[in-house]
Amino acid sequence: MVLWHSPVGKPNGDGTVLIRMKQKKDVQQGTLALMVLKTLDVLGPQHGYGIARRIEQISGDVLGVNQGTLYPVLLRLEQEGAVVSGWGPSENNRRARFYRLTRAGRKLLDAEKRDWEQTAAIIARFFEVKAEDLA
Amino acid sequence: MKMLVRLLTRIRNFAAGRSGDARLREEIEQHLAMQSEANVRGGMLPEEARRQARLKLGALEAARERYHAEEGLPIVENLLQDLRYACRQLRKSPGFATVAVLSLGLGIGANTAIFSLIDAVLLRDLPVESPKQLVLFGRGRWVGSVDEMPHKSWDLFSYPFFREFSSRNNVYSGIAAVDSIEFGTHASFDGGAMWLSRIDLVSGNFFDVLGVPAALGRTLTSEDDVAPGSGPVAVASYGWWVRHGRLPSVLGKTVRIESATYTIVGIARQGFFGTTVGQSPDFWIPLSMEKEISPGWNGVNDKDFQSLYLIARRKPGVSMVQASAATNALFRQIIRSEYLGASPSQKDLVSLSHAQIELTPAARGLSQLRLQIALPLEILMAVVMIVLLIACVNIANLLLARGVVRSREIAVRLALGASRSRVVAQLLTESALLAVAGAALGTALSWKAGALLLHLASGQAQPVPVDASPDLQVLLFTSLLTVCATMLFGLAPALGTTGGICVLSLQEGRGALSAPMRNRLGRTLVITQIALSLALLSGAGLFLHSLLRLTDVNTGFNARKVLVFGLDEYAAGYKQDARLAGLQQQIEDSVQALPGVRAAAFSMFTFNEGEWSDPVIVRGVPRDAENGHDVLYNVVGDEYFKTFGLPILAGRVFTPQDNQHAPLVAIINETMAKRFFPGASPIGHHFGIGNDPSHSGDIEIIGVAKDAKYTTLSEQPQLAAYFPWTQHLQYFSNFSVRYSGEPGPVISEVRNSIARINPRVMVSDVSTLAAQVRASIGNQQLIAQLSAFFSFAATLLVCIGIYGLMSHAVARRTREIGVRIALGADRINVQWMVLREILGLIGMGLLIGIPLALIGANLVVKLENPNLLSRVLYRTGPFDPASMIVALLLLIVVPSLAGLLPARRASRVDPIVALRDE
Repeated sequence: MVLWHSPVGKPNGDGTVLIRMKQKKDVQQGTLALMVLKTLDVLGPQHGYGIARRIEQISGDVLGVNQGTLYPVLLRLEQEGAVVSGWGPSENNRRARFYRLTRAGRKLLDAEKRDWEQTAAIIARFFEVKAEDLA
Repeated sequence: MKMLVRLLTRIRNFAAGRSGDARLREEIEQHLAMQSEANVRGGMLPEEARRQARLKLGALEAARERYHAEEGLPIVENLLQDLRYACRQLRKSPGFATVAVLSLGLGIGANTAIFSLIDAVLLRDLPVESPKQLVLFGRGRWVGSVDEMPHKSWDLFSYPFFREFSSRNNVYSGIAAVDSIEFGTHASFDGGAMWLSRIDLVSGNFFDVLGVPAALGRTLTSEDDVAPGSGPVAVASYGWWVRHGRLPSVLGKTVRIESATYTIVGIARQGFFGTTVGQSPDFWIPLSMEKEISPGWNGVNDKDFQSLYLIARRKPGVSMVQASAATNALFRQIIRSEYLGASPSQKDLVSLSHAQIELTPAARGLSQLRLQIALPLEILMAVVMIVLLIACVNIANLLLARGVVRSREIAVRLALGASRSRVVAQLLTESALLAVAGAALGTALSWKAGALLLHLASGQAQPVPVDASPDLQVLLFTSLLTVCATMLFGLAPALGTTGGICVLSLQEGRGALSAPMRNRLGRTLVITQIALSLALLSGAGLFLHSLLRLTDVNTGFNARKVLVFGLDEYAAGYKQDARLAGLQQQIEDSVQALPGVRAAAFSMFTFNEGEWSDPVIVRGVPRDAENGHDVLYNVVGDEYFKTFGLPILAGRVFTPQDNQHAPLVAIINETMAKRFFPGASPIGHHFGIGNDPSHSGDIEIIGVAKDAKYTTLSEQPQLAAYFPWTQHLQYFSNFSVRYSGEPGPVISEVRNSIARINPRVMVSDVSTLAAQVRASIGNQQLIAQLSAFFSFAATLLVCIGIYGLMSHAVARRTREIGVRIALGADRINVQWMVLREILGLIGMGLLIGIPLALIGANLVVKLENPNLLSRVLYRTGPFDPASMIVALLLLIVVPSLAGLLPARRASRVDPIVALRDE
């Protein structure tokens, strides 16, 4: 994703403006995928809206105004074989597309979970360290 | 695995053009509906509920784009999109596109053509099994036969030596022999008409050693090559087979060649042209039949008749060094025991200690063509590379100028959110499109150009049978070239235009664009172009000057109005005896009597056909360093001197009385007369051929002929002697006729006349002496003409480059120029201001170009093989003031003219318009 900062350059004497470009990495992609997997793991087959609502409930405002970003992530997971999808009736009898975790998806979730816990544990230890511990 | 599954899905989606857009739309719709319902349940009004749901969903288009990117192959889609865009852009500026594609087409086409030649002649391996294991004994420089023991590196070997060596060696798995001469003779297939055919005489194991199987039937075997006359069989080439209808029934049929009949036992594998690049024999016949193919070649049992090339296959694991050591050790043993006898003289032993076999890798076969044409091809390759470089620089310059014009467009695209890499990719796609179009044009141009160039270079009447069609290697080369060209001319402008810092003009108007960096790049490019062009032009001048000097060389003979007929008297079926002499006499007499014929004579050589040479021993003149050189001999008919317009300076010409019963006589040339008899008349003196003093009284000198050129135009004055054909019976293949009037009727009269005397004597081809002289410098002519052509093309490109740069500079400075004019500068001043800039660029380019040109010329001189008969540069050093001055003048005048147009445009700037433009 490319984000544009407002022009930070100062106007040149000859009437031109310098614009610097910067790119911001989308750090949420991997996290979002993990949340989706975990949600499906806990709730069983679920449609997009259901997943979004669940994530919102749990995470507070991570998705914020961008629930739409969920759909590319779901497609990606489906292409990777972690989930499968199909049309079905929703709770209030609407047609909705349901996503279900596959065996590969569960494996992926386990692996990601382990990774995540490991990273979190390491980071946590770093935060616990005090100056006297290193002396 | 995960990646792979995903990639496959993406490719499938992309290929099927499948889009999940409808599905996404529905999903989103349902999502919104459910969210709105939830909102309504939460107490919102329906309108507001819907709005909030939308807000929560976020930027829908962005999500959709991301979704789409996940779905298919965004790279490919972008590429297609870029391509469409590039096509549109180029269609908008057809002038630029045409210039770019044409110049690239010229550059890439020329490179492909020359490279396909280099590939065919210099690079390609023989189509045999494991070609890297093959080695050639010697370097394959000599063709023919030698009877003395060279005291240096050996190239030719006798049949007995081949047998002896093969039986005693232990580093080679096989050794094959092939006669150094490819025989051209008439053959009749299955009782049909006689056709000129090419024959390679080879040892029986030739095909086995090379690992070439038969396409049909069998190849030769050792049983075909046991004793003289024991193998009347032939293997035909695939090409010959195709020309004869490709029928399997040719096996077992016979071919009559000269006086013997051969059974066709097989057809060699397709694509196998023998071991010599540039030749393509019709038949391979065992060496056991050497005498039947050519009576003069009776070497099967003669250890002094050395005429074979030996090609050996190294055993696996035997290195070149090991092979060389073992080969030379065995070589010395054999020479010592078989050639020198029981008590060799001290001189022979010294000779032997210098003798050696130099092994050369034979993977690519052997080729006189290669020796002759390698340097010319390398020079031309360098020339066309430079042309391509100039073309690329030129296009880079034009792109840069376009980049300035498009900078606003690009700035807008960047500002709208395109990443820099995306814009660079788009600009590069445009360049690549140009390059691919250029490459397609170039490849089309070069398709048949390679074979044509080779034909021109070899100076032969027939096309050289080299497979110069583009193969994988050539295609790879061209593709690589195209990619490099794209990068070369596309990348710098693309990076320059998008820049880390994007210059966005806030104000309308050209005057505001200050881009010193870009300008400097453009100038550097033009200077580079000029420097490279100077190197090319002065190099071409060098070659042209050398060629002019060559064509100016006085040959000594008068080549105008002389026809040279190729005859095959051997087909008449006579031995070398009185009947043959009678036949030749009859032909000479009857042709001489024809109307329009002023003189006619047989001769062993005409010009540039090889040599028969040996030192002479002159009675009463001691040997010294000066007169121990080889003398070139020729055997000629009585009217030879009249036919060639060679004046006899003293003494007399040959007469019919100088026959086999009369004392041996000779006519020597001026140089020989001066060398052996300074200040005195040589008439009546005697000499002998070779080194044996007891023969010094053999031949009497009866005349002195004017000096001439014999083997090449560039040769130094040579010692030469002529013998009368009546005293040296042999088959000739040259019959020269000096005529008056039109050549057409004379040719048919001569043909008829010979056919009346003996219809079996074949007249194979007719050329002229002048054509033979021209052909002898075909190489030099090719280099001179092609390099001249390419350097003029390069100069034209430079003009386009300068014109582009300056028009653009003038356009950019319209306001400044307007101000100047408004302030009172006159038009001449303004013109001069622009021209001065151009002259500055040219001056810089030339300053850099001069050393570049000298380095290039020095390199050519250094690379040139001084032993080669036809050298690229004749009496022309690396620094040739005349060509340098012409090149400098051309490069000052022509590009200045190109710059004149923008300069005039600048002087016509209307100050009011220019200022109002702001």
